[in-house]
Amino acid sequence: MTAGVYVHVPFCLTRCGYCDFNAYAGLDHLASRYVSALLREAELAAPAWSSEEVVSVFLGGGTPTTLEVADLKALLARLRQAYAVAPNAEVTIEANPDTVDRPKLEGLLEGGFARLSMGAQSFDIAVLAALERLHDPASVRRAMSDARAAGYTNVNLDLIYGAEGETLDAWERTLRETVDLAPEHISAYALTIEPSTPLGRKVQQGVVPAPDPDLQADMFELACEVLSEAGYQHYEVSNWAKPGFACAHNLGYWERRPYLGLGAGAHSYRDDRRWWNVRPPEMYLELVEAGRLPVGGEERLEPNDAYLEEVFLRLRILEGVPASWVEPDRAAPFVESGLLRDDDGSLVPTERGMLVLNELVLALTG
Amino acid sequence: MYQRPLVAPATRPYDGPAVTEPMHIRNFCIIAHIDHGKSTLADRLLELTHTVADRDMRAQYLDKMDLERERGITIKAQAVRLAYRFEGENHELNLIDTPGHVDFTYEVSRSLAACEGAVLLVDAAQGIEAQTLANFHLARDAGLIIVPVLNKIDLPQADVDETRRELAEVVGCSPEDVMAVSGKTGEGVEALVDEIVRRVPSPSGDRNAPLRALIFDSSFDAYRGVIAYVRLVDGVLASRAKVRSMATGLESEAEEAGVFAPEATPVPKLEAGEVGYLVTGLKDVHQVKVGDTITSAGKQGAREPLPGYREPRPMVWSGLFPSEGGDYSELRDALDRLKLNDAALVFEPETSRALGFGFRCGFLGLLHMDIVKERLEREFGLELIATAPNVEFHVIRGDETIVVHNPSEMPVPGTYDHVEEPIVYATIITPSAYLGAVFELAQSRRGELGDMNYLSPERVEVHYTLPLAEIIFDFFDQLKSRTRGYASLDYEPLGYVPSELVRVDVLLHGEPVDAFSSVVHRGKAPQYGRQMVERLRELIPRQLFDVAIQASIGSRIVARETVKAKRKDVLAKCYGGDITRKRKLLEQQKKGKERMRRVGRVDVPQEAFIAALRVDQKAEAKK
Repeated sequence: MTAGVYVHVPFCLTRCGYCDFNAYAGLDHLASRYVSALLREAELAAPAWSSEEVVSVFLGGGTPTTLEVADLKALLARLRQAYAVAPNAEVTIEANPDTVDRPKLEGLLEGGFARLSMGAQSFDIAVLAALERLHDPASVRRAMSDARAAGYTNVNLDLIYGAEGETLDAWERTLRETVDLAPEHISAYALTIEPSTPLGRKVQQGVVPAPDPDLQADMFELACEVLSEAGYQHYEVSNWAKPGFACAHNLGYWERRPYLGLGAGAHSYRDDRRWWNVRPPEMYLELVEAGRLPVGGEERLEPNDAYLEEVFLRLRILEGVPASWVEPDRAAPFVESGLLRDDDGSLVPTERGMLVLNELVLALTG
Repeated sequence: MYQRPLVAPATRPYDGPAVTEPMHIRNFCIIAHIDHGKSTLADRLLELTHTVADRDMRAQYLDKMDLERERGITIKAQAVRLAYRFEGENHELNLIDTPGHVDFTYEVSRSLAACEGAVLLVDAAQGIEAQTLANFHLARDAGLIIVPVLNKIDLPQADVDETRRELAEVVGCSPEDVMAVSGKTGEGVEALVDEIVRRVPSPSGDRNAPLRALIFDSSFDAYRGVIAYVRLVDGVLASRAKVRSMATGLESEAEEAGVFAPEATPVPKLEAGEVGYLVTGLKDVHQVKVGDTITSAGKQGAREPLPGYREPRPMVWSGLFPSEGGDYSELRDALDRLKLNDAALVFEPETSRALGFGFRCGFLGLLHMDIVKERLEREFGLELIATAPNVEFHVIRGDETIVVHNPSEMPVPGTYDHVEEPIVYATIITPSAYLGAVFELAQSRRGELGDMNYLSPERVEVHYTLPLAEIIFDFFDQLKSRTRGYASLDYEPLGYVPSELVRVDVLLHGEPVDAFSSVVHRGKAPQYGRQMVERLRELIPRQLFDVAIQASIGSRIVARETVKAKRKDVLAKCYGGDITRKRKLLEQQKKGKERMRRVGRVDVPQEAFIAALRVDQKAEAKK
């Protein structure tokens, strides 16, 4: 079976107010220990995964590019050595525009990180400020041109819409600027307020307004329109790609293929078991340095859980759910109201349907 | 449920006189507004007469129920026997406690009927309040001798002279006749007791006549059954006597006669003029009715009952439903239990399309309703949804009167001649500065001004005839907020009058929601309808389709709002592999949905029902 490997790098230059990922600013001093631990964990975990063909590797974070190129190369080399990584495997690295320049990008490409995913977030300086992103729009343009000059032919730009003060017009400008840079892949996420983040607390206290869901819906629809005109295919709720450039690694999650997560807080999945590493980097380091797998928890999926996931993920990637899975009475009102369409025996969400996917999932799974 | 424990006879024999000559008996009550210090004064009386040993004394001794102590009011009347030596003679003083709330006017009147005198207790810093005034009138009309007393004279803000003048004016006595005490410090209390003995007449009544005992209250004891609180008017009531309740015709054996001193203490017999309790041997509180007369069973029984008996009549109705997942049978059992010692509570099963199975319950008034709800929630651990309270309407069709307790059962216009609603005679006492605000409020509630009386240049007594339906719709809260808490209110039923009432229905997505139906005056119906739909627009979560919220009178739509369809409900990000969390979010959302009630196609959260049915002061104040 084919599998993916995810490597988590929990370091960031600064912590953004909206982000609830397992990421930390000011832990850079742990970087070299952390790289060693990743190398060690890769070895510890490898025996159990010897029968899987690894078709994708994804370095995410945090900001993986806060690590030295040499370390990143060594890491990838170790993965190729310990796992059956397919020669044509998709290898992605996430980057912050401010953490990469042309020499670094050349080094990464040369080291085998052939797909670059950059957090652009917005081309509107006010939106970037609201998101507490340090970079300015110019640095995204610069990083993009550096990437092209370095030889990158597979680049993703991440966008976030619906931050405080962002108008539909401002969002359209961001979309147009993005399209002008012609990345192969675009992820556009509606800003989600996570209660445990600084932004979440501000919203709770009423200091910052919560995003307007109707405006975010308009923004979503605008993204669908602008990106499809520009030749991008909408293949997941928040993801668009030029033909042939869908992200194989993320598709692995959504298609419920096995994946191994390495690093602090990384999640893994195989055979109806989900498990995850401990989140605090220091704890992760201690466990791995003691020669132990740093697993922090696990769950076994009951058939109901698995079914709910299956339906939910299939709807997200527009693969749809076979109509035969669902009682006809449940689906009919949604087909009628244009939230689902019956695509040759498959129930697939329409654009409007994708926006209310949670409701559809709950309605279809009863 | 609270049950008063009865003390076993051997442990504490009553050490007062077994039977006191009538000339040495004084039966009196204390009429006071909430917080004017009745319970504290009662504590001082218990101490002064050594009725409670010092070491056993605790604050608000007589307010035994938890609920009473917290709310600062007394629900259950109680009678305490105080032994007092005055001018060399042993006296028996019976302090009969009266409920202090407008819901319980009938109960008050029965307690008063057991007395010859009443202490009219008024906070020297507050002045007389409407309920006190109303109860004073009740007492005077019942022929009681009034002893006016100022309380809390120790307070720095007490205006003793002015309040004394006001009280003398109200009672029609000279200011010197007004006593002044401090329940807190005990100042003046002994003089007051002397004065009670002097002024309050001893009971008349014939010990040789057939037994007639007035039941002025009752309670239920889990071990002993129903306890009746009685005032012997004529004759003798001995333990073990066969007795008959004259209104119900039920006969039983008087298992035990006793007095409260202050704990229940058996005595061989009670004689005319005395006050005490009777363990009736009956198990159902509804068989022992307040106001009924107890006499001897058989031929020695009295012919004529004592006057004034009335069946308890609920004034306010509300549907009570178990909230989500709640159990109908648990609610039924809890109501059955409460009914055991609450003779005024009535209920009948009700089925609501929106709220499921529940009960339409009748209460004496809003306070009674709140107490019952609170006890159901607190003592029985139930979570309830209560529909907005309503009065009982009479729908007249030819010779027939259809009694409607539930707005959704109100017949459609055109199928009847007219509708009648209950009205009340309301007494409001307010500082004259707020008179305008009071007029405005009463006018907006269809009030008709009666007479007015200046108690002093600063305080006015105003009378209104008002529909009860308007009173139970947050009138009291409004009155308080518009007079900064200074006004007080009392009312008594005046019967039914024809009225232009219509039923307003609320429809969700075209589906009427019976729980939201209300009967309101025609002139106010559109405004009421608008208010309801606006409130619901805020409360109904967005669905996958536009939800129309409409208010209608018959087939006419009087208000409409729309909850726009929800457009966005999707997890934006789903990568990084943490699918578990995403699934849990969905499961949570699913649970939330399951907690909602479905009205037609519309999911309505529990909280929306509760909030929409609450008589909301803020919404009201915005008008």
